[in-house]
Amino acid sequence: MGMRRHLGAISGAAVLLLAVAACGSNRDSSAGTGSSTTGGSYTLGTTDTVTAVDPAGSYDLGSSTLQYSIFQTLLTIPAGGNTPEGDAAQSCNYDDPQTLTCTLKPGLKFSNGDPLTSSDVKFSFQRALTIADPNGAAIYLLASIGTLDKAGNVTGLDPKAIETPDDTTVIFHLNKPDTTFQFVLTYPGAGDIVDEQVFPADKELADDQVIGSGPYKLSQYKAGQQAVLETNANYSGDREAKAPQVFISYYQEASALKLAVESGEIDVAWDTLGPTDITALKSNSDVTVAEGDGAAIRYWVWRTDSGPGKDQAVRKAAAQVIDRAAIAKNAYEGTVDPLYSIVPPGLPGQVDAFKSTYGSTPDIAAAKKTLADAGVSTPVKITMGYTPTHYGPNTVDEATEYSRELEDSGLFTVDTKSAEWEQYQTIYKQGAYDLWILGWYPDFLDADNYLAPFMVDGGFFSNGYHSDTVNQLVADERGTTNSAQRQADFGKLQGQAATDVPFIPSWVGKNVAVYGAGISGVEDTLDPAYIFRLWTVSKSS
Amino acid sequence: MSASAGSLPRFIAQRVLLVIPMVWILMTLVFVVLRVAPGDPISAALGGKLTPAALDQRRHALGLDRPLIVQYGDYLGSILHLDFGKSFTDNQSILSVVRDNGGATLSLTIAAFLVALVIGIPLGLLAGRLRDTAPDVLIRLFGIITYATPIFFVGLLVQIHVAPLLGLPTSGDASPETLFVVPERTHILLVDALLSGDWLSIQDVLTHLALPAFTLGVAICGVFIRLVRVNILQTVQSDYVEAAQARGIARGKVMRNHAFRNALVPVITIVGLQMALLLSGAILTESTFNWPGLGQKLVKYINGRDYGAVQGIITIFALVVIFISLLVDVVNALIDPRVRY
Repeated sequence: MGMRRHLGAISGAAVLLLAVAACGSNRDSSAGTGSSTTGGSYTLGTTDTVTAVDPAGSYDLGSSTLQYSIFQTLLTIPAGGNTPEGDAAQSCNYDDPQTLTCTLKPGLKFSNGDPLTSSDVKFSFQRALTIADPNGAAIYLLASIGTLDKAGNVTGLDPKAIETPDDTTVIFHLNKPDTTFQFVLTYPGAGDIVDEQVFPADKELADDQVIGSGPYKLSQYKAGQQAVLETNANYSGDREAKAPQVFISYYQEASALKLAVESGEIDVAWDTLGPTDITALKSNSDVTVAEGDGAAIRYWVWRTDSGPGKDQAVRKAAAQVIDRAAIAKNAYEGTVDPLYSIVPPGLPGQVDAFKSTYGSTPDIAAAKKTLADAGVSTPVKITMGYTPTHYGPNTVDEATEYSRELEDSGLFTVDTKSAEWEQYQTIYKQGAYDLWILGWYPDFLDADNYLAPFMVDGGFFSNGYHSDTVNQLVADERGTTNSAQRQADFGKLQGQAATDVPFIPSWVGKNVAVYGAGISGVEDTLDPAYIFRLWTVSKSS
Repeated sequence: MSASAGSLPRFIAQRVLLVIPMVWILMTLVFVVLRVAPGDPISAALGGKLTPAALDQRRHALGLDRPLIVQYGDYLGSILHLDFGKSFTDNQSILSVVRDNGGATLSLTIAAFLVALVIGIPLGLLAGRLRDTAPDVLIRLFGIITYATPIFFVGLLVQIHVAPLLGLPTSGDASPETLFVVPERTHILLVDALLSGDWLSIQDVLTHLALPAFTLGVAICGVFIRLVRVNILQTVQSDYVEAAQARGIARGKVMRNHAFRNALVPVITIVGLQMALLLSGAILTESTFNWPGLGQKLVKYINGRDYGAVQGIITIFALVVIFISLLVDVVNALIDPRVRY
């Protein structure tokens, strides 16, 4: 009897569980529709991860998406724009290429009521550089106001770098001419302003305790699961929040994100759905797929100091053979656009240098002539490298497509090799491949961020490329406040890239979001800045 | 009598002492395997962004460039002090990760366990009772298929075909609103929802639990089906069943009152040992259903080469499995004195 009683209890519990579950919930899974307290709220789903909500500890998209809404920076990139505008600052102007003076807007307050002053601004930069979190952006992006050791590593804030003559004035004294610094100030991980009364000077604050002065305040944070933002009553800036509450749900797999937006469990899915998912969702009448210009790019890097890529003619021939339109269509189902410069369209100073130099379609005859003129015997054997998962599974398709194009030209034989990211990003620097694929997402929306990291002394990928001309042009564009002059320098740098071909641009992604019924404002934030401005989106109650 | 009475504490002490080398070997293996695998947390996170020099600077800041033996010594030392450290990729203390996510894994595994028992035991009993008939074959086939089918595949089928039919959610352990309104007391969401007394929240949590629990439960019910069936067959052939039947007691009554009960005794022992299978299944189920448990966290940390987090979570997983195995051993020893010798 006892055994049967236990079995009965177990069965009863399980049946109850399933029965109650099968009844369905009266509370709408989509937050904001089932309770009067959250009318107009919406839920955003994303596969991005958050390293830290404290700006001193993060250098990633998931963290910055939260930080854009919680904090203010001195400058920001407005929706649809590409030049910095005042956020906490009324204005920031270069007195000369080494001196930037910012004036704060009057009456700024943090969400706890503390006033935001120039002292908080100085404190924010000082603590970020003092903490020097290896995960943070400060030690990478704030070198212009930092003290440097002999190896060039940032060791802290230069005591003379920030001057605060009064509560609303901040003067940055840069250690070298650097007109990209105004763009650095727009990036949360480097430029967010924190409350010196709340944040410790030498360590990070716990995620769920951060406060800022942005349009939203953080009401709940469950790492890897959910963040809840509510409007900040003390916010007095231009970024008016349209939804009283925003729920952010974190997903590990794009497939789960897709199912969630299809079923209405979330209202908006943003970053990152794969090409197949996007194509499938476009045929679903219950959701809208919104697309804007993107800033994430893919490109092929040549090893220029050894192997076949040492010969400039080989690199040029590969640039003449590539069929970007076919890659976009065959590997990405048309969800990306061909890219003809390492700088994507829409940025000041961008020119389609590879299109003007080599044309927009493959020219195999020209490639043959390039190699013949240089006395290169064909077919040229090259080792092509790619990583199969880090940039998404479609990278395999891209490598297959491009290697097919190279081999079909009759000018190349391609040995394709792959490695998982952890190994890949080590061995490509060591010369494992002649030609390999990489991706880039900018820290700030300036052409410099697409040129300097790639072209100065072999770039971050160490491909052996070196050009005094390039180094001088980068120094020049950073050393002038004249925007016309900068744009001219950017044009020359892109032209030099097309001539020397240290890399071959492949495509630029779109900024895609998928949303359900009742949601508006998503299109307003889909631009190359790749900031999901949570405050622009609302849901009809 | 005195010898047997004294042997149980000694047996338990031996089992407890064996835990120490088991945990040490496991921790060492995890440490070595993670270091042998290519990559590190810095290169996984920032390898596509920074120069080799900048990456080295950050590795140095984290102490990843120190000799392995020094890192190993630090690791063992901190574990001895119950300091599991912090994750690198999301800056959380490992104990808080276990606290915040362990409840979700516990809820899922218990619910899946119930589902497995409810499906597995009656089907196993039925298959044993109807030996070599069509239902027996079908049930055995079902058991083999559920055992052999990958959990993520079952999960995907359930998400695509069952969820829309029943209106069930496909991801997470509750809706965002419920997560926000339910006060966190025990870190087990279902218990917290029950304590809050909010029926909508309870319903919402159960709704979210249904498909993951069903998926994981179905995956392990095959073991129960086969086990119960075999034990039923052995029991019905035993002398006391034959004797009962010879006395004229109806076969159905013999099965219900004698055979079923006795057949389930060894099952109870095996059930405890299914915990390791449940935990490994939970990792896949959590990934499929975006279930915020320890398994999902573990996958994320492994992908990020987050040494500290992976080491911490695996150590805790191992301790749980070892503890349950120990418990099963002790219960076995209590039930069956032969085990102690």
